[in-house]
Amino acid sequence: MTPILITHNPLRSLSVINMASRAPVATGRLLLGFRKWYYNLCGFNKLGLMRDDTLYEDQDVKEALRRLPEHAYNDRMFRIKRALDLSMKQQILPKDQWTKYDEDVQYLTPYLDEVVRERKEREEWMKK
Amino acid sequence: MKGIRGISQLSKRLFAAQAAHKRQFHAAARKGQSLVQPLAGLKLSPGVAHSYQDVHVSRLPSGLVIASLENYSPASKIGVFVKAGCRYETPDNQGVTHLLRLASSLTTKGASAFKICRGIEAVGGSLSVTSTRENMMYTVDCLRDDIDTVMEFLINVTTAPEFRPWEVSDLTPRVKLDKAQAAQSSQIAVVEGVHEAAYKNALCNSLYCPDHMVGNIQSEHLHQFVQNNFTSARMALVGLGVDHTVLKQVGEQFLNIRSGAGTTGAKAQYRGGEIRIPSTSSLVHSAVVSQSAAASTGEALAFSVLQHLLGAGPRVKRGSCVSSKLVQGVAKATAEPFDVSAFNSSYSDSGLFGVYTISQAAAAGDVIKAALAQVKAVADGGVTAADLTQAKTQLKSHYLMSLETSEGLLEAIGSQALAEGSFLSNDEISKNIDNVSLTDVANAAKKFVSGKKTMASTGNLVKTPFVDEI
Repeated sequence: MTPILITHNPLRSLSVINMASRAPVATGRLLLGFRKWYYNLCGFNKLGLMRDDTLYEDQDVKEALRRLPEHAYNDRMFRIKRALDLSMKQQILPKDQWTKYDEDVQYLTPYLDEVVRERKEREEWMKK
Repeated sequence: MKGIRGISQLSKRLFAAQAAHKRQFHAAARKGQSLVQPLAGLKLSPGVAHSYQDVHVSRLPSGLVIASLENYSPASKIGVFVKAGCRYETPDNQGVTHLLRLASSLTTKGASAFKICRGIEAVGGSLSVTSTRENMMYTVDCLRDDIDTVMEFLINVTTAPEFRPWEVSDLTPRVKLDKAQAAQSSQIAVVEGVHEAAYKNALCNSLYCPDHMVGNIQSEHLHQFVQNNFTSARMALVGLGVDHTVLKQVGEQFLNIRSGAGTTGAKAQYRGGEIRIPSTSSLVHSAVVSQSAAASTGEALAFSVLQHLLGAGPRVKRGSCVSSKLVQGVAKATAEPFDVSAFNSSYSDSGLFGVYTISQAAAAGDVIKAALAQVKAVADGGVTAADLTQAKTQLKSHYLMSLETSEGLLEAIGSQALAEGSFLSNDEISKNIDNVSLTDVANAAKKFVSGKKTMASTGNLVKTPFVDEI
């Protein structure tokens, strides 16, 4: 079987989601190496997913998804559908299409943090 | 909000005297003494006699106008008035003020939507936004002790809105609801229609979001409109039951956000025209107007006197308004039920004056023509001095009564402070009204009769004349 041709450029989502740019983390090279190793070990990148695609969709994540800009949401849906397709066919992407650790954008995290902050504020108020 | 914290103590001091009474009261309750009798051994402190205070108006270097009236009321009312009504909308962002009106409780930089809502509820206050063609008004009501809490929300809402895209798009159903409710009212349809037909620009914009913009107003439109119009020079901070120095301090600290005059609105251009909105109602609502005068001119006052001379609505509840000239004239023309009153609205650079009629579909033509004939009779000098005196008295009492409610007073102070940077005392207003002469009123009526007419009508329009037929 020939691998499915998929034209998806992860760099595109990098350029458009600038608000989700990663905050500089003060880590040593060793820790960074460990993180990369662990990232590749998880395996979702081989299906073309990003870390934020793998979050369990609880109420917070659902609300954050509702707030995503449309193009970011569409990109996410594309990646998830591609992954489902691959998983059904028991395949993985060709190696050059794997998501690289440096290209993984946490596009959902800022929205999710905001949703969680709002929920915490509500819970705090109810406790009073 | 450090400044406001400090302010709160000032407002509490006024209640120090009452607090002392409260302690006595509790003591009495403990002793089982009757509370319907004056408490034995209670020494009433003479306290500080509340002296009558005038409206204070001052203008800060930034152009922000601060106006306040200390009325020693336990409930305070504070408003931020902005010259940003729907007349400042452009074709690209039509309906943005409608969204802005609904967006008052969205998340701001200082407080989340949840916090604004619960915070105001918790102190029993209320936050409301109203908008006219000229101004937007953000108002909060609260008990005097809670001024600092609600003021924080008011400042946040007016100066630091975030307009998050998902919160703005959630407002679309509310826009639709507002429009559906407005569509129930023939009066709103006629008044909106008459403005649309009368002007080429600015004042022709509707207070409601037009159909083609529903759901198309994005957060950027709101941001841009606020950026261009909510400048210090176009704002007034108005308070009732609050100390002037306190309000001034708040204005200096928190409302100095954008300097400059913002974008200038276009001057309203009158065109005159007609709009007919057919509906299944058996009644016909119709307004025939022509251009009158800009507010704050002497001529506008003459039009107000003319309005009361012709009849501005019943003086006795469910009464027959027999003293109204319009009603007298129309009653001769038709035996069917009808209602007729003079319509008058003035804006900073233009105004509309005319007659508003409600009639049965078949009698619409007769009623409108009879009403216009009455205005013509006034223009031809058919007014006695006694009629004029009565109209002036009605106008004065109407104005003074409108100042009796805190909403009316706040709006009057705010819109005057914003337009002129001052507030005319009741005596001055009365004097100005008294100075209107018979010729002024006749001239105003002549201006209406000879002016180019605009007409808006809704209902069963089979027998309703067109504007060129009247």
